[in-house]
Amino acid sequence: MILLESHSVIIQTTLVDKFNKPSSIDVQFVDFDGVRFHMHTPDRERKSLVQLSMSIRCWDELAKYGANDILQREYGQYLSSAPEQQYNVSLDIDVEQFPAEEEARTAVIRSLALIKRNVLAAPFERAFTAQQSLEANAGAVGELMAIHYRDEEAIYVQAAHDRVTVIFSTTFTEETDRIFGKVFLQEFVDARRLPTIQNAPQVLYSSRDPPLEIRDVKGLASGDDVGYVTFVLFPRHFQRPEVAESTISHIQLFRDYLHYHIKCSKAYMHSRMRFRVSEFQKVLNRAKTEVATTDKKTISGRTLVSR
Amino acid sequence: MSTLAPIVCDNGTGYSKIGFAGNSDPSFVFPTAIATRDSATSSSARGPPLPAKPGHLASKRGIEDLDFYIGDEALANSKTYGVHYPIRHGMIDNWDLMERYWEQCIFKYLRAEPEDHYFLLTEPPLNAPENRENTAEIFFESFNIKGLYIAVQAVLALAASWTSNKVASRTLTGTVIDSGDGVTHVIPCAEGYVIGSAIKHIPIAGRDISQFVLNIMRERGEMAVVPPDEQLKVASKVKEDYSYVCQDIVREFRKYDADPYQYFQRYDGEHSVTGRKYSVNVGYERFLAPEIFFNPEIFSSDFLTPLPEIVDGVIQASPIDVRRGLYKNIVLSGGSTMFDHFGQRLKRDLKNIVDKRIELSQIQSGSAMRSSGIEVNVVSHKRQRYAVWYGGSLLASLPEFYSSCHTKADYEEVGPSICRRYTIFGSVN
Repeated sequence: MILLESHSVIIQTTLVDKFNKPSSIDVQFVDFDGVRFHMHTPDRERKSLVQLSMSIRCWDELAKYGANDILQREYGQYLSSAPEQQYNVSLDIDVEQFPAEEEARTAVIRSLALIKRNVLAAPFERAFTAQQSLEANAGAVGELMAIHYRDEEAIYVQAAHDRVTVIFSTTFTEETDRIFGKVFLQEFVDARRLPTIQNAPQVLYSSRDPPLEIRDVKGLASGDDVGYVTFVLFPRHFQRPEVAESTISHIQLFRDYLHYHIKCSKAYMHSRMRFRVSEFQKVLNRAKTEVATTDKKTISGRTLVSR
Repeated sequence: MSTLAPIVCDNGTGYSKIGFAGNSDPSFVFPTAIATRDSATSSSARGPPLPAKPGHLASKRGIEDLDFYIGDEALANSKTYGVHYPIRHGMIDNWDLMERYWEQCIFKYLRAEPEDHYFLLTEPPLNAPENRENTAEIFFESFNIKGLYIAVQAVLALAASWTSNKVASRTLTGTVIDSGDGVTHVIPCAEGYVIGSAIKHIPIAGRDISQFVLNIMRERGEMAVVPPDEQLKVASKVKEDYSYVCQDIVREFRKYDADPYQYFQRYDGEHSVTGRKYSVNVGYERFLAPEIFFNPEIFSSDFLTPLPEIVDGVIQASPIDVRRGLYKNIVLSGGSTMFDHFGQRLKRDLKNIVDKRIELSQIQSGSAMRSSGIEVNVVSHKRQRYAVWYGGSLLASLPEFYSSCHTKADYEEVGPSICRRYTIFGSVN
């Protein structure tokens, strides 16, 4: 698995199970970036009715950038007017009303499992449309949208007349992670020089100093462990709707992708280390001197045993 | 951040149960299997592959270490990948594979950032402390988790029994009968500590019961209509859905013979490949299947001690001052203890053994002393199947959990040896 998937496996499997065998449930689970889900059957009598609630840290910002419109578009019929307490969005799903055909049902369930991705897509979609409206007048820039999706990290999205800039601020709490992370981020910049991926978005990485676009934003964290990754998306990355979809899905998960791969490479190094240790142990075992086992005999022929 | 629920991860030999604390069921139950590109045999000899030559990393093709599947997907891809089982007899055998297994558990299935969560892991009784240290190294250094608690499975099974309404006090003293797919353990626990010297293993568990059902049905000729590749599946289905424990075999046989139409049942199946339908009669195996716990001689010739006698032996081998508590709280856990009336039968047989011994000692004392008797109690409850996981979920949602964990700061201060000890918490004495 190189890329992380953007749908939640728990939502998917639970809904499939529920469709096959309606029963009452009450589960709480999470997704990346501190998103919490609560899935339960509020009505004891109607077991097919499932309420799925989501709480996301940066909901206020997302709502400002049009997350509600996207929810309305994607989940219009399910959307609950009053979200559950402590949660931001609630969907009322009746599994009995899922399409009977296997294929259509899978598609519906999959789109429900993408709820977090869709909500977080709001600022990106808005930036893509903003870019199109700005196309006429060169030099104009759109609104700088900040999404504080974690405590110390944020995504900044800004449209300009010919591009959309996405900036991730990253912090690493762990010393080892920081080093791995720096190598990785540098690799992103270097890898783009390969001829096969010339069409990929441009990636810039700067540590400490924030890039020009967000230099005047207040409250930026500074210090050794802060880095900024900038992706420059050109119209070819989001003009066709299906390309735009996958661009959004991938770029959202960038942070998790980075951290997943840091962990994977640590695991890989650990397995190399274990292999090395066992090799060295073999060498050491070979170096052991053999214990002399010559019997010492007394003159009468009995064996002398040392105590 | 503290609002995010701890992750409870119970990796067993056959199946892994993973999910979030506070839920009543694990989010995922899948085989502890990992499918990698290299074939099952050659992996240990070569070690992990090295990248080819220096240069910048992106030009390399070295992504073999990311190319693997876990759980059900691993079994589905067994044609093109080599399937490995990193846990043997409850203990982790291959740390390389286990580390990658956890990687995908967390990122692909749970979709959680390990930095934000506390973890509760389980270990079998008598696990070597080195294994705990290795686990702690992986979780703290690879995954940077917030805090870790490693609990003994038997203790979690005891905690899970608090959900039963028969249990009055939340105690961690009791005998756990843990019967999964491969082996059955009888484990005495005193106030949260396992009495290691008294543990007994029984080589009869789920797999053997299925095999036994298959044998009976073959002998009766029922299996003739079932395609050979599905026979074991049918047998285990019969075991799960139709079997129960009877109180008296002879009477049960008579009952079946007197009125076969009422007691014999039909099982209808469909061949998964050809779609051909078949139907078999389910008869005596309904009560004979779990009977191999109580009369093992009907199944095997080398293991002949019935379960109640083993349980009695285990408790008699424990220190004398906890025996009363052990008899009073016998807890069932694992899928193979799910048969109807299993607990009642065990209780009855065990009570007979205990009463007989008391009577004998009364006669030996010249009938001068009278015993007040010993209370024998077997607890069965709704959460028995995933009892260990459920117990973990229960304990991890208590507020004391966070203070009993070893945090990352503790780990960095002391090192992996910190995981040699854990505080027991949660019980009310």
